[in-house]
Amino acid sequence: MAALASADIVVIGAGIVGALVARRLAQQGASVLILEAGPRLDRGRIVAAFRHSPFKGNWMAPYPPSPWAPHPIYVPRDNGYLKQAGPYPYPAEYIRAVGGTTWHWAAQAWRLVPNDMRIKSLYGVGVDWPLSYEELDPWYQEAEEILGVAGADNTGSPRQKPFPMKPVAEPWAMHRVRERLAGVYPVVANTVARNSRGYDGRPACVGNNSCQPICPINAQYLGINAVEAAEAAGAKVIPNAVVYRIEHDVQGRIAAVHYYAPDKSEHRVTGKTFILAANGIESPKLLLLSASSKYPNGLANRSGAVGRHLMDHPSTSLTFYADEEIWLGRGPQSPSSINTLRDGAFRSQHAPYRLDFTNISQVLNVTNDLIKEGVYGAAFAKQLRWRAARQINVKNVLEVLPNPDNRITLSSEKDAMGIPKPEAHYAIDAYTRRGAEVSKADFARIAELMGGTGLRYSAEGSFANNQHITGTLSMGNDPATSVVDAFGRSHDHENLFVCGTGVMPTAATMNSTLTAVALALRTAEHILPAKQAVVANAAGDREAGLA
Amino acid sequence: MNAPLRYLVLLGLLVAVLAQAADNPDATLLRRGQYLATASDCVACHTSPGGKPYAGGLSIATPVGNIVSTNITPSKTAGIGHYTEAQFSDALRHGIRADGKHLYPAMPYTAYAQLTDADVQAMYAYFMHDVAPVDTAPAPTRLAFPFNVRLLMASWNWLFLDDQPFKPDPGKSAEWNRGAFLVRGPAHCSTCHTPRNLLMAEQSSRELAGGAVGTWFAPNITSDATSGIGNWGTQQLVDYLKSGHASGKGQAAGPMAEAVDNSLRHLTDADLQAIAAYLKTVPPRHDPADTRAVDRWGGPSAEPDVARTALPGDADTMSGAQVYDAYCASCHQARGEGSFDGGLPPLFHNTATGRTHTDNLVMVILDGIRWHTDDSGVHMPGFAHELSDRQIATLGNWLLQHYGNPAATVSVKQVRTLRTGGAAPHLVLLARLAMAAIVLLLIFAATWLMRRRKRHAAKTF
Repeated sequence: MAALASADIVVIGAGIVGALVARRLAQQGASVLILEAGPRLDRGRIVAAFRHSPFKGNWMAPYPPSPWAPHPIYVPRDNGYLKQAGPYPYPAEYIRAVGGTTWHWAAQAWRLVPNDMRIKSLYGVGVDWPLSYEELDPWYQEAEEILGVAGADNTGSPRQKPFPMKPVAEPWAMHRVRERLAGVYPVVANTVARNSRGYDGRPACVGNNSCQPICPINAQYLGINAVEAAEAAGAKVIPNAVVYRIEHDVQGRIAAVHYYAPDKSEHRVTGKTFILAANGIESPKLLLLSASSKYPNGLANRSGAVGRHLMDHPSTSLTFYADEEIWLGRGPQSPSSINTLRDGAFRSQHAPYRLDFTNISQVLNVTNDLIKEGVYGAAFAKQLRWRAARQINVKNVLEVLPNPDNRITLSSEKDAMGIPKPEAHYAIDAYTRRGAEVSKADFARIAELMGGTGLRYSAEGSFANNQHITGTLSMGNDPATSVVDAFGRSHDHENLFVCGTGVMPTAATMNSTLTAVALALRTAEHILPAKQAVVANAAGDREAGLA
Repeated sequence: MNAPLRYLVLLGLLVAVLAQAADNPDATLLRRGQYLATASDCVACHTSPGGKPYAGGLSIATPVGNIVSTNITPSKTAGIGHYTEAQFSDALRHGIRADGKHLYPAMPYTAYAQLTDADVQAMYAYFMHDVAPVDTAPAPTRLAFPFNVRLLMASWNWLFLDDQPFKPDPGKSAEWNRGAFLVRGPAHCSTCHTPRNLLMAEQSSRELAGGAVGTWFAPNITSDATSGIGNWGTQQLVDYLKSGHASGKGQAAGPMAEAVDNSLRHLTDADLQAIAAYLKTVPPRHDPADTRAVDRWGGPSAEPDVARTALPGDADTMSGAQVYDAYCASCHQARGEGSFDGGLPPLFHNTATGRTHTDNLVMVILDGIRWHTDDSGVHMPGFAHELSDRQIATLGNWLLQHYGNPAATVSVKQVRTLRTGGAAPHLVLLARLAMAAIVLLLIFAATWLMRRRKRHAAKTF
């Protein structure tokens, strides 16, 4: 076994959440070590890979998995890393690399609505969160200020202070959709970690429209920005460190973590406090992998809840042609949505949802359709132009309720390092399906308002995945039913904290990253409080300086 | 309250109100002062990054060492609140502080000397009334001997300071005179754009022919059509000064972006027109190395093979086309043609790639272009953290070959030097400067002796 490494704080996972926790703790003076299973990536190579790829719609193409830290790939075929036990597939995508999955996100950085955190009390479904929206509000704010979040006034999520910046310029297509839906549906600029002005040394969005493969100019906040900020604060990152076991002592405190280097040499890292931030699938996998004679069901798993309550945001959609040229594809990929259906008494009956308009160029989709239809020559050119100019897609983003049978387990199959692969057990329940059914009326109304023709609903019973992996490490006050407490501390191991979207006990209808970051910053504060006086003074000075 | 006391209080109030009225200069004067302070870009040097306006503390690298800007807020303890108007004028136009000590010409008082008495009165009023006092003083400037002998500057001023305010040339138009006043005076263009002699004084015979500003180079802006701005239209010059960008010409970066951001874009269109009109008449200075106008090089081109060639494992061995494709082409496009009608500028027909002097090209790749006072912020991201010295040299040479002046080159050593803050003042330079200081000392001694002898002679008679 190689030489010992040690730190006050050992963070597993160098994604946006792990890195921002590391940054905050390093700023407080702690020594921080971040272990990342995947390699360090280079923006230029990702951009080049995207520019050169003939498959512009395959957003995972620029991120080939490393042999030692594989991640799921489905195109052109399933690489078999995330095993599917069914009955419904859970084809999650994520990136194991320094910077994590936000290398290629849409940068939607939403807050929940307050009622999202009390659906058991209010609607008799799901569970309540162990903390209130009001408690989370200042952490949302801190997260928004770090990420540089642009947002509109009327999102439906209350706030005490303004957004760091105004919404990103509205693309023409969204402008038209907003105008034509006015009075029936308010179409609002999405809340995004994307610059509408220069912020923190990063430029404003200029509309490359490649957010989800890669933002080539760093106008949207990425996990790698968080990693660099953590390093600037003094944290150290060890890439290609595939953690395969968390070790506890006789009292049940975490003593060390063990990782493989790509050559499968074994390394042991000790620390005082451990933070597991390896995402909603890899984190529970690691806890289950670390089972011992004292903890035969895995660590932090007295409740048996580790890996359970797997959620996402399934989507169904409608594609149609508007009666005017709107030309999707200019500006960010995901600029606007309808947010009035996120909450209501109906939540006792069916899933709430958000309605999200895509702004991805339709040229590729339309080309594929035309080839499939056998259209050639002059008709092809004419049709391509006509359809690409008019095609619109609107999808719902549905809530899924926590269900213990939806879960991540260890597969009997192993990866190249000999580590069991994760296995997804998943089903979409009647609550979510009813929500999808109700939303069809909204789809139809939207098409009507846009003068829509050629309406194509997504296949009946078919739901797209949105890669918002939640629930598998749920927080709660009761150690018998939850994995961590309201601060992310494991009920079973005093010095083990879990951060990430997995700790969210319900999924609500909003993209999960901002909530995960806010919760994680709150965890960091709980571990090592910030020197408030200093921070307050510095902020005061800054404001005065600007005045 | 009894009656007499009431009267006393009323009287007191009246006196206070009157005193305040007398103390409150009229708004026109204040606005004029503010405009001149903006045109003079005082804030650029007298504000530290993230600090309060005019509170000083910015460390300015000069060949003789770092000079720290002072607090020029009206604080009576840390700033210039105790200055009389005459003392303010002396500092601004003659380089002499209230305590009688000399300023270093990092403060461009040789340019501000052009300001008239009325200008100084307005600026004084503005600084005393409209600038918020800040009661903290930055650390004082500490230069090594002999440069710490401020008295040396007396001889320097005797040699180089023309302390006469601007006198309009009756033979020229009002617009030309306004432009000449702004360029030579408040806007202090020559501070950066005029080359300096061995004693760090501007070579007035080579006005605006180009000079060094730290790691950047302030280019030739004389009316020469090849090396300068002679082939720029007046409107292109105005656009550049107003937005930092002139289509088909170039864009402001580094200290010039700062000057546009802090100062020039706030000037009236008439003043910018006047500046342009004057610049177009500055005697041309031609650099024989410039065989073609610096904004006329190159054209659109691409290397189609770049998409078919796998990237090497070692980033330092990437070709110029590969670095360009990965880091630049998303904005500047595959053929270097830019986008948004020049909003993301083309790299050919661009002064950034047309000069034989390539420090600015390297600096803009390292630092990008940032504005601080408006919402646009980052006009171009910097690549100092993403690209190695070798990658930047490879890229720079490729850009010059494809889009710019093919005779120009970028070396790895040059990138390394600029990345680390520019050429260190090596021994030869230091020795030269020390010699210069000794020369100044001798001149000072000679002047003093001559004056003494004169006084002595006067006494004998």
